[in-house]
Amino acid sequence: MIKRWYALAAAALVTAAVALYVVGRSTAAEPVNLTTTGSRYTATVFIADPAPGRVTVEIKVSRGDADTVALSAVMAAMGHSTPEISAAMREPGRFVAVGELFPMSGVWELSIRLDGPAGEEQLAVKTLITE
Amino acid sequence: MIRVLCLAAALVLALAAPAAAHTVTAGADLRIAQTIAGAEVTVVVKGTTRVPGPLRIGVIAYQPVSGPPIGLEVRSVEDGRTVTGTARAAANPQYTQLRVERTGPHELKLSAGNETAVIPFRVLVERDSAGEFLIYGGLFVAAVLLVGGLLTGATARPGRAMALAAGAAAGVTVAAMVIVFDSQVPAPPPDGAAPAPTTSTAEGRPYVQARMETVPAQPEAGEEFTLRVDLADGSTGRPVDDLTAHHEALAHVVVTSEDGRYFRHVHPLRTAPGHLEVRLSAGRPGRYLAHAELERENSGGQLVAADFTVGGTARASAEAGTGTESGRTGAPAKQAGTTVTPRLHPAVPVAGRPTTIELDTPGGVRAWLGMTGHLLIRSQDGGFFGHVHEMGAPGSRVRFTFGFPEPGRYLAWVQYATADRIVTVPFTVNVTAPEAR
Repeated sequence: MIKRWYALAAAALVTAAVALYVVGRSTAAEPVNLTTTGSRYTATVFIADPAPGRVTVEIKVSRGDADTVALSAVMAAMGHSTPEISAAMREPGRFVAVGELFPMSGVWELSIRLDGPAGEEQLAVKTLITE
Repeated sequence: MIRVLCLAAALVLALAAPAAAHTVTAGADLRIAQTIAGAEVTVVVKGTTRVPGPLRIGVIAYQPVSGPPIGLEVRSVEDGRTVTGTARAAANPQYTQLRVERTGPHELKLSAGNETAVIPFRVLVERDSAGEFLIYGGLFVAAVLLVGGLLTGATARPGRAMALAAGAAAGVTVAAMVIVFDSQVPAPPPDGAAPAPTTSTAEGRPYVQARMETVPAQPEAGEEFTLRVDLADGSTGRPVDDLTAHHEALAHVVVTSEDGRYFRHVHPLRTAPGHLEVRLSAGRPGRYLAHAELERENSGGQLVAADFTVGGTARASAEAGTGTESGRTGAPAKQAGTTVTPRLHPAVPVAGRPTTIELDTPGGVRAWLGMTGHLLIRSQDGGFFGHVHEMGAPGSRVRFTFGFPEPGRYLAWVQYATADRIVTVPFTVNVTAPEAR
């Protein structure tokens, strides 16, 4: 009988641990994958490991022929802005930028300046960067 | 044992019922006042409970509006999908139903006459919380297993009965724990919400640098001109595009002539990030003052001021009186059309002490800009500008309390909306110094 109670308690604890995991999972950092569409271009930003410091940002331009893509970031809450980083074209429509875009954790607005035959356009996405 | 579990399950079920009632209704109305095509309107976007789902948009008018309906265009900033419709401004408007496919950032484009406004907003839909899923999941498991346990127990199979009872106990434990701790676990943000810091950070954002100018640079009396407000962040220099709907408007702009005979309280249109515009006309040449109130996200209100000059000669239709209805931006000013005068307590206000101003509103009032009444105050020289809200006075009157900061002459305007117009009552207040009494 006592054994069964142990089994019962163990089952309850395991279930509770699963419950806490499910609840806590929603607060874990995830890769950034955001799409934004302007009047000329559609860009998807992918950051596999978003964190303060040096990051690698991939930009896929799925609408509009962009020749050049440059990134900069603004933290509105603190009034910080970062220098512009040029993204290198890996293949048509796919650009990669590497640099220190987010000097500190917080909510950052990532500006994407695209240029091409259709003209220049600045798009933006907001993302939360955590340590 | 099973009886105990049954009792526990019954208790937990009884306790779970109120928790379900605490679910938050998805979405919230967005209300934005706009001065468009010469009319003062409030655009209302009603929240949706699901996506794809309906987004209902209505345009409330505060005076009879003629002309074609206002064009609506809702665009998802993520995928660029656009839906269009029209809405006719009315005191009790019909809501136009547009379909949104996803949550997240959107833009509402309003078109009327040759004017266009682009209002950014987010479509939010409440997510089912993990806690709720676990409560109902745990109780469901417990209920199923308890029934199984009872049946198994009835057929005298203690081993299986205990296994089922253990499962039921686990289900009840999960549900009970989540019920107890759910209030301490932060609710997940609604689907489509802007990212927000998980830990609290310092509130406030840098100040706004505003440049206000007219197009043309020197408007002619009686001719329409555009007042442009360009906003830049004081720390980054970037366009400021995070204005909140502060008292139901991105910005409240009050334009007065130096002598106070001309008064307009308007709500400029956002034409691009950091750019606001409103069309005006003034019947008399002279110097005009513009005060703009605005508020950035997570920040307090800010006031920016500028002045400009209207050239030419006074038009026959120039305002003869001291006040005007604010709604018709292009209309010549007229007497306020009211015989009531505000009552001041004390009758001779003293600088630095509260003064109460009451005004009878025989025509009744309806909420405008989220309030039943507004009092706008300007010092004679324009160096001071104040905006006071009605305090909820009983009966047919509006009441304001304000402490005039310095002695001197102030120009003041009470504004409220009736069923079919916005009433503006101008008056002046002479404030004495405390030692003068």
